[in-house]
Amino acid sequence: MISLLLVILGLTLIAIGVFFDFVGALGLLRLPNFYTRLHAATAGAIGGAVVPMLGASLLALGAEYLGPQRFFLAGAAFASSILLMILAQAGSHALARATYISQGAPLEPIEYDALRERGRGGS
Amino acid sequence: MEPVAILLATAAALLSVIATYLAIEAKDLLVATVFSAVQSTAYALMYYILMAPDIVLVYVPVSVGLLPAVTILLIKKTERYER
Amino acid sequence: MELEYLVSTVLTILIPFYLTSFLLYIIRVVKGPTLSDRVLAVDSLGYDLAAFMVVLSVLLKAPLMIVSALALALWVYALDIYVAKYLEAREMGG
Repeated sequence: MISLLLVILGLTLIAIGVFFDFVGALGLLRLPNFYTRLHAATAGAIGGAVVPMLGASLLALGAEYLGPQRFFLAGAAFASSILLMILAQAGSHALARATYISQGAPLEPIEYDALRERGRGGS
Repeated sequence: MEPVAILLATAAALLSVIATYLAIEAKDLLVATVFSAVQSTAYALMYYILMAPDIVLVYVPVSVGLLPAVTILLIKKTERYER
Repeated sequence: MELEYLVSTVLTILIPFYLTSFLLYIIRVVKGPTLSDRVLAVDSLGYDLAAFMVVLSVLLKAPLMIVSALALALWVYALDIYVAKYLEAREMGG
């Protein structure tokens, strides 16, 4: 009973992750600017990679046909999701700051630039 | 071997060929480095599909980690655009 | 046994959506106007490929194959930091 509940919860989380992945890819293709694409890419990384890994961890705890090695799968998936939750936003922030400082992408659909008043890069 | 696995391996092989052609054609050398990373990612998926995770564990640090590091260091010492 | 059938059916249905989003990421890698767009798309492609490897390891019933997902996610992050360091170093020095 509890294994069926864990499997259904894990499959639901994996399906939510696939939805976020698709939305992130579509936003990365359709949005007009680098800084708006950054939002879509971070949504695709957090919602599309962290959530399915947590779902796979729960799924592996519930799926008893995988044998005793399923605990290894659950632990590795959980560790991957926690590390990725720390790393994805750090990488996006580093790339955005470097692009703003080196002026590598156009700022075209913009209304107000707060970083320009505080100085270069806002550090 | 399952048919899903054969389909995925074929798609990864096609992607690696396309990425290699684009890496050769690019004039900006940093873009060529990024396409090289795409090619090695496709190879990682192929090794994974062919049930060799130990080779992925060795291939990915060398080809996604060390090779772009050395190449970007070299581009920083010389110049970015190819003439 | 019916648990195994449920898991393999749902995960096999979900695979084409993963392939479609990978195709969209690759289109952005190929036609991205600036360097940062390409690096961002490769970054997202690597993260989602790591998640896909986790799902595929459940589907193919090989739990020991999951170790490559962690390595791929960590080293794709390193590529991001290299390019950011290059772009910043030209303006700030060092």
